[in-house]
Amino acid sequence: MLNPTLITVILAASMIGALAGVLGSFLVLRGQSLLGDVISHAALPGVVGGFLASGGRGFVAILAGALISGALAGLVVQLLRRGAGVKADAALGTVLSLFFAAGVVLLSVAQLRSGAAGLTVFLFGQAASVLRADLMPMALVAGLVLGGVVLLWKEFHLISFDREAAQAQGLPVSLLETVLTVLIAVAIVLGLALAGVVLMVAMLIAPAVAARQWVRGLMPMVLLAAVFGILAGAAGAVISAQGHGVATGPVMVLCATALTAVSLLLAPERGIVARWTRQRRARRSLHGRQVLAALQGLSQAHDDPSYASAEGMLNAYLGASSQPVLDRLKGRGFIRQAAKMEPELGKDRRWELTDAGVLHLENKDETQ
Amino acid sequence: MPDLHEPQFACHVEDLTVSYRERPVLWDIDLDIPPGVMAAIVGPNGAGKSTLIKAVLGLVTPVAGHVRVFGLPVTQARRRIAYVPQRQSVDWDFPATVRDVVLMGLYGQVGWFRRPGRAHKARATAALEQVGMQDYANRPISQLSGGQQQRVFIARALVQEADLLFLDEPMAGVDAVTEAAIVALLKAQRDAGRTVVVVHHDLQTVDRYFDWLVMLNQRIIAQGPVAQVYTEDNLRSAYGGQLALIGSLGNAGDAASTPTATAGAGAQDA
Repeated sequence: MLNPTLITVILAASMIGALAGVLGSFLVLRGQSLLGDVISHAALPGVVGGFLASGGRGFVAILAGALISGALAGLVVQLLRRGAGVKADAALGTVLSLFFAAGVVLLSVAQLRSGAAGLTVFLFGQAASVLRADLMPMALVAGLVLGGVVLLWKEFHLISFDREAAQAQGLPVSLLETVLTVLIAVAIVLGLALAGVVLMVAMLIAPAVAARQWVRGLMPMVLLAAVFGILAGAAGAVISAQGHGVATGPVMVLCATALTAVSLLLAPERGIVARWTRQRRARRSLHGRQVLAALQGLSQAHDDPSYASAEGMLNAYLGASSQPVLDRLKGRGFIRQAAKMEPELGKDRRWELTDAGVLHLENKDETQ
Repeated sequence: MPDLHEPQFACHVEDLTVSYRERPVLWDIDLDIPPGVMAAIVGPNGAGKSTLIKAVLGLVTPVAGHVRVFGLPVTQARRRIAYVPQRQSVDWDFPATVRDVVLMGLYGQVGWFRRPGRAHKARATAALEQVGMQDYANRPISQLSGGQQQRVFIARALVQEADLLFLDEPMAGVDAVTEAAIVALLKAQRDAGRTVVVVHHDLQTVDRYFDWLVMLNQRIIAQGPVAQVYTEDNLRSAYGGQLALIGSLGNAGDAASTPTATAGAGAQDA
């Protein structure tokens, strides 16, 4: 099954995935996911331009073209924001659409003229488009980008966590942010052939979000995101290379998103299952006596022995849903539901202690 | 050797003016804070208190005026200044432990392309001990309470061993025990010869905590030792008549005679 083409594809996808995971972590933590989407969509006209200019599949020309149109897009965004006062999300959305539309038109024109059917590769990615000859330049660029991240690690760490503190410490924050954005742009552009313009951003976001669920520090998050990126990239590329004509980008994204879903569900501290288990345990450990005492305490705080506590208020005090315990206590006759009062008809249940309940609470040698 | 301009002051501000969308937020600020004091900056909402600190630190660009710290421009005096911003300026869900955050206070000193070494890490641990958070060193910051977050922020500033500390509302939204601990910490810094400047939200505690006072409402209303500046007239000027006073402002520390500010902003509101 392992032929040279497959190995090439796996290597390329792994590099792209690792890079996307690393740079995507910063993108996600800084809340700039939309910017990543803009960079990848806005690269399309540049990609087509680079292809046409190099008269073929010149790796460097296409990369350069993508970077140039990405940079141009960034400039237009700044112009809209600073010059015209357009809000960030509207400016980004506008530029994304503008450049992508221009790119699609250019693509159609290019296809008509030079029969360059291979360019649709850049919309959704195609594993088969990666040539053995591309691997070395790709590895070189990827190495440079990762080297940049390593060298400027603590600077990127600080500006991502607390930009003002970085400024106050004298770091050249604007310059660092520009460098980081350039590195992100290079990572995106490098992956366009495999993942495609439309979905590349997901390869930056999904592994980072998945990794966040498992870690307590930035370094572990970045490393884990790289691992997830490699897994999703390689799996997606291999599956799509099986020759059924499925574009690579969507498959890679589905793999990455599956990893994210699993992480969101199963991660130990932050996972949904973990939280649900914690809440269940808190609910279970609520004792009847505790709830009775809380009800009594609440009525005492209101100086009114006939005060009936709202269940929502009781839950907030106890820190867990007391509904099963309340039903149990009601069954034993220690509490009763109070009549509903205007204006809260139909909402929360209200509970008050019965005489038996008061006795049970005061009777200290009686067991649960 | 650069020219020292007004080196006798820890912080010297002259003609400082800051605008936002062609409207002045701070105007014609002349401010001198002597070294070794614990100073409070007070004023109604929209007075420009946070902006003043940020303009001094160079986080915001003024349209006029200059700032000197110990006689030097701020860019040359960074090592001598530390800043504690408001808690909400940061996303506390960021993946970091308490120790990570404190260590980040030293990143500016570690130097380009280097990693924090053992000495830096030891300083971080010492700073955590100063604020009583050493047991939380490996705790993710998303699990901290407001008071704990504030202490971590202060530790991040203390680790820099700066001579001039700026804090933006460090005691806002913090429990009484933490507030007392923070005040004790800052007073200890002042007693050790450092200068502490605090944007303070609570008029009632000014004369108990601070020895120097700056009253601000887009312009400097008054500045100087607390006993001289903390007067009814100055408060009325700063708060524009929206101040409800209980009794007279007689002795410091006399609980019955402290003024309370109402929730309304002053006559000039931003």
